[in-house]
Amino acid sequence: MNDHDEPYAVVDGAAAMTVFEIYIKTTPDRLWSAITDPETRARYSFGVRIDSDWTPGSRYESGVPGVIAIAAGENVEVDPPRRLVQTMTALWSDAVKAAGESRVTWEIEPVGSSCRLRVTHDRLPADADSEVFGGWPMILSGLKTLLESGEDLDTPGSLRYAAGG
Amino acid sequence: MDDVDEVFKALADPTRRRLLDELFARDGRTLSELEADLPMTRFGVMKHLRVLEDAGLITTRRQGRSKLHFLNAVPIQLIHDRWVSKYAEAWTEGLSGLKSELEKEEEAA
Repeated sequence: MNDHDEPYAVVDGAAAMTVFEIYIKTTPDRLWSAITDPETRARYSFGVRIDSDWTPGSRYESGVPGVIAIAAGENVEVDPPRRLVQTMTALWSDAVKAAGESRVTWEIEPVGSSCRLRVTHDRLPADADSEVFGGWPMILSGLKTLLESGEDLDTPGSLRYAAGG
Repeated sequence: MDDVDEVFKALADPTRRRLLDELFARDGRTLSELEADLPMTRFGVMKHLRVLEDAGLITTRRQGRSKLHFLNAVPIQLIHDRWVSKYAEAWTEGLSGLKSELEKEEEAA
């Protein structure tokens, strides 16, 4: 538990949030860079890059320029290399757009020679399309593979937009 | 930590797989909610949840006075990427190869 714990959005007793955790053998700085660098990000996020100047309160956009817009939002908290809080509006289909604006919190904590990365996606409506938050395991698995082996995942899903469409 | 042996061991039990399915259906549940759906004592469910948590398959968060359990599918995805996609993709490639062969024949005809 840390001092950032706070009530999360709960609707009718069902928590409208997901929490993912993964241990990655890397440094907090390298992990932070892999999350915020557009080219590195594209290597484990289905070819989708993320662009922002990463100042608190700035906007970000993620997508494949000229092919598809994936998400957009605000960088609410930017505290490298520990904590990044973003609002997120998914844009890749009408079904995911209907979920509106949610929140994604990235927390990096050094543990021995590794880092624990926790991604909490909350403030989701109870009826949100599961595609909105369902991609995290694939993205985080690809991130771990990239940082630990230097290799890209080459599963079909991970390359969906890599060739530009 | 995220030892793959621990994940396989944790998955090698029907009650624990059922608990993961319950969380997949509705994430973020308390022990009492999970216990209500299982023919098992509270202590038994707690033990299984502990094994799942140690394997990294669930994470927990405090919400006021209750402790919520969340499915963490990342270790399963890692197993998929390492152990499943490699074998399944050969099959998929075979099928797409077959498709292009058939299309070629169609064009020729």
